[in-house]
Amino acid sequence: MGFVMDGLDAEAYDRSYGDRALIRRILSYFRPHLPRMLVVSSMVVATSVAATVVPLAISRAVDELSGRPDLQLVLSLAALVTVLGALGWVFNFVRQTFSARAVGDVVLALRRDAFRAVTQRDLSFYDQFPSGKIVSRVTSDTQDFATVVTLTIDLLSQILLVLVITVVMFVVDARMATVVLAVAPVVILTALVFRSAARRTTQRAQRALASVNASIQETISGIAVAKSFRREAAIYADFHATNQLAFQVRLRQALVFGSLFPFLNTVSGLAAALVIYVGGLSVIDGSVNVGDWYLFVQSLAIFLFPLTSVASFWSQFQQGLSASERVFALIDAEPRVVQTAAEPVGVVHGELAFERVWFTYDRTTPRFDGATPPALPTGATWVLQDFNLHIPAGQTLAIVGHTGAGKSSLMRLLTRFYEFQGGRIAIDGRDVRQLELGAYRRTLGLVPQVPFLFSGSVAENIRYGRPDASDDDVAAAAHSLGEEWLADLPEGLATDVGERGARLSLGQRQLVALARVLLQDPAIFLLDEATASIDPFTEAQIQEGLDVVMRQRTSIIIAHRLSTVRHADRIIVLRHGEVIEEGNHASLLRQGGHYAELYNTYFRHQSLDYKPWEG
Amino acid sequence: MAASEFRVVDAHQYDYRSPGRWIVSHLVRRPLLPLVFVLSAIGMALLQSRGAVLTGEAFDAIVGGGDDRIAAFLAVVLLILAVRLSFGLVDLLNSFLAQWLAQLIERDAREELYVSLLGKSLTFHNQQRVGDIMARATNDVQQLNAMLTPGASLIIESLISIVVPLIIIGSLNPQLLLMPLLFLVSFVLALRHYSAQLQPVAGALRGQFGTMNARLAEAISGIEVVKGYAQEAQEQARFEANAQRYRDLFVREGGVQARYLPLLLYGVLVGLGFAHAAWLLIQGQLTVGEVIAYMGLLEILRFPTFISTFTFALVALGFAGARRILQTITTETELDENVGGHRATIAGAIRFADVDFGYETAAQPPPWPGAPEIPARVVPVLRGVSFAAAPGQTIAVVGQTGAGKTTLTRLINRTYDARAGVVSIDGIDVRTWNLDSLRSQISTIEQDIFLFSRSIADNIAFGVPGVADRAAIEAAARQAQAHEFIMALPEGYDTVIGERGVTLSGGQRQRIAIARAFLSDPRILILDDSTSAIDSATEDEIQQAMRQIMRGRTTVLITHRVSQIRWADRILVLKNGELIAQGTHDELISQSAAYRRIFVRLEEPEQGATTWAL
Repeated sequence: MGFVMDGLDAEAYDRSYGDRALIRRILSYFRPHLPRMLVVSSMVVATSVAATVVPLAISRAVDELSGRPDLQLVLSLAALVTVLGALGWVFNFVRQTFSARAVGDVVLALRRDAFRAVTQRDLSFYDQFPSGKIVSRVTSDTQDFATVVTLTIDLLSQILLVLVITVVMFVVDARMATVVLAVAPVVILTALVFRSAARRTTQRAQRALASVNASIQETISGIAVAKSFRREAAIYADFHATNQLAFQVRLRQALVFGSLFPFLNTVSGLAAALVIYVGGLSVIDGSVNVGDWYLFVQSLAIFLFPLTSVASFWSQFQQGLSASERVFALIDAEPRVVQTAAEPVGVVHGELAFERVWFTYDRTTPRFDGATPPALPTGATWVLQDFNLHIPAGQTLAIVGHTGAGKSSLMRLLTRFYEFQGGRIAIDGRDVRQLELGAYRRTLGLVPQVPFLFSGSVAENIRYGRPDASDDDVAAAAHSLGEEWLADLPEGLATDVGERGARLSLGQRQLVALARVLLQDPAIFLLDEATASIDPFTEAQIQEGLDVVMRQRTSIIIAHRLSTVRHADRIIVLRHGEVIEEGNHASLLRQGGHYAELYNTYFRHQSLDYKPWEG
Repeated sequence: MAASEFRVVDAHQYDYRSPGRWIVSHLVRRPLLPLVFVLSAIGMALLQSRGAVLTGEAFDAIVGGGDDRIAAFLAVVLLILAVRLSFGLVDLLNSFLAQWLAQLIERDAREELYVSLLGKSLTFHNQQRVGDIMARATNDVQQLNAMLTPGASLIIESLISIVVPLIIIGSLNPQLLLMPLLFLVSFVLALRHYSAQLQPVAGALRGQFGTMNARLAEAISGIEVVKGYAQEAQEQARFEANAQRYRDLFVREGGVQARYLPLLLYGVLVGLGFAHAAWLLIQGQLTVGEVIAYMGLLEILRFPTFISTFTFALVALGFAGARRILQTITTETELDENVGGHRATIAGAIRFADVDFGYETAAQPPPWPGAPEIPARVVPVLRGVSFAAAPGQTIAVVGQTGAGKTTLTRLINRTYDARAGVVSIDGIDVRTWNLDSLRSQISTIEQDIFLFSRSIADNIAFGVPGVADRAAIEAAARQAQAHEFIMALPEGYDTVIGERGVTLSGGQRQRIAIARAFLSDPRILILDDSTSAIDSATEDEIQQAMRQIMRGRTTVLITHRVSQIRWADRILVLKNGELIAQGTHDELISQSAAYRRIFVRLEEPEQGATTWAL
């Protein structure tokens, strides 16, 4: 049963699919469940019929009782009412179980499609949609999707009931039917007027509530500051005023909501008095009998209630359509990363080459062949233009440069998280676009700035890339990074890392990620060094662990640590997507060029002798 | 009265002995409102029943015949009109009262919770996650509202609108009570059975939704790892298994809801009740009008039958929320304002003598039904820590994340109290100090600097409201190397920070906090400098500001920077809550292998490079 005030906080939403296309697509999900839906629909009809026959039977019996009653007939009518009451329950039971199954299966299928689609997108897709939105589209919007259909079925059953009763009333007595029907617009209008009043107060009430919640949030987040300066009384005064204001605004909203049903009840009460009055007079002038009179008295209640749900249908329906559209937008997003072939990867030595690579984050620019790139739309820029870089197998390469120089973009192209528009990237001389993507990615070991861990134990996280690895293999990988970090974990490898690794420090998470790479044993190691500071003890463990990981492997590091640049085989300085200097730390520093400037900007303060206050 | 760091004068005292009593104590605070609510509900049920009886009388007036039947009929119709109109008015009153009560309890409970949160020690706050507390202050408090209206108010109305019609039916003819009473008994049984069946399934469904959501959120946040390790298929299988379990529970819940027996009982009641009434009429014991009145009275029972599943679920949710709120309010806080304590100007000598500290975790309810309760226990954080700092010294605290560095500093301003041993300032136990006097002379600059969503000037003057004028604020900002970037902001010192204003970088926030500390001019400074600045220029400014503020004050400095550690007067090396070494840099280099190790890689090859430092 739909409540008049449902769906008030529906957001405005830009629609890019037409209503028809959307509904057709929604129905396609229900098509496999057509038999079930047919059962549900027939139950809807059966329920409406039963609901109409009950008052008819009772009225007939009342009519009988008001004259010289035939006991047999009255009792069989009563039996009919009893059986219909029981049948109504059965119809409802069948309808609900079948629709729960259909809805459950449709939501499941939709969630599966949505999540599959999501995992197949490249990372440019994730830049477009924040992860929270993707999650709510996959879980909540899919749920709302199904409501479009159940809501429609509900509405249809209500309308059907109203129609059947209307027809019956007109067949019985057109004059009285007109009286009852005249109330209908009043009820619908009332419901609509209340809805628009409620919509305004609801928005105000939500804002008021949001500001109270923000005030509490701020207090709790800043409690340490408030307490250390002993400002509790002042912030309490602020809160008290906000809370009082919210109370007033929300009370006003509640009163609007609270007056709807008393109002509707009064309207239907007046209508009832009117029906009794007109009916009584009609009985006296002989145009209807007592039974029919009673039929109208009963029908009024059955007739009016469904009308209130008509008022809220449209906005709820639109809400459901918007939810569906959000889900379909996920499913339909085009993947940008395209493999031209799926050749097996085989043994990899780890020689890498960027050859005349062109890259932009603009999603509309297509891939091109040859040397002349297409013009970019205004606002878009090339991150890499005709970029060349050769990395011999086994080299440790540190990349330095200002923010936006293109350091991370290089990594993103290597991992095939993003598609580049022109040129070629080769591993051991083979085009990466022609390789089987999953196998290719397994040859790369990636450690991002803030390593991501899944909830579970340290061991499970180390095993993530190789679910088949034995416990011994996992332990060996962990131990080869040194013993101390394992001793620092409260339960060693069995330590629960918490949600997203929150129970471990950033440094510990990096060590877990390094162990994960060691177990995977990739030919190429990619590291985006943390910019956040890590305590010097753990930092020492990480640096020692890195030595182990980088041994025998091609390593590419976006460097933020002084010790890393000092130990790299080769440093490249990147600016606007171009290599402007290269060499090792000592030689570059001696040159006094761009690297020296970068050193002075990013690495100087990490040095042991750093003493700015004496500058 | 429990210890508290903050109280409101004349606050209303509620009953904390159980969630039920607590809710009742909120209701009876304004006794007139609930009383009038119940009376109006009774009035509604009476009027509604009267309406049904009058409808019957209208029929009798017509069917019964007689010469003045039109006049009698008109009189009855007018009465019906009057009854229906007054019903509308009483309904309105009743509905307003219900809404008012619900909003009041929400407001008062929120206020109560808020005040109690302000009064809790930081020990309490540091053990809670902001998200949990927010959930209590927002969802749980709102659930109280929903529990009262429509939840409890509908239950009360339902109860009354079952009892009153039954009484009226009895007054029509006691024999008519047979069917409704049978219905009532079976209804209560069926309802109990239903909620016993529904609750576990509904709970499991909600739980499964949470599980599915959490794993999905994780997979999507960690998509780089998923893709980097080519584990898409594994994640799909995991998600589909979760979604399948959700689907199965959803179907089971649908099945339970479809079997809602009270509907069947009501359907049967209408038929059997009618048969019974008809039989009594044929026996000459009832009139047609009375049969119609009886059917009308049965109709009143329909609403409670339909609505009860919904209302009981709301009340159960509200109760669970009330329990959680109450749990937060009644958690004891161990610190007190210590109004009569020692007041003096601090010179700055800090001394820890064999200090132990541990968090006490509260006993937790069983994680799943049937499991044993998780007992309270103490998680040790610091063990046997002893050191001393002379006034004006800088003490660097180093150690791994989780070694207890922050906890150690929090014992100084009595954010926490030591479980054993003594923390003293100027030779006086911190527990003897007046809390105001102690805290007002100790400033803390945390790692994550919290600024309020107010203007920058207000944030800087936060510790000394109303005392500092704009000139003093600017002077403090200059000393903190913050003046220049503040002036570059659109509205200078009046720029509002936070959600509705500008976002500041970590380095900028740090300098605002330093300016705040300059204004409050503390004797002891606790500085958590374990965040990092990305570039050396920002770092230069921060370090200069820090040097300025540390001058002439005792400073306890948590830092990861080797250059800072090196120049401290005294270095404390913490590991797993124990002080494994302390001394000056040179002493530690010769004594501690762990300490030496952190400098090895940095001192390595070319010393030439370090001369580059300005």
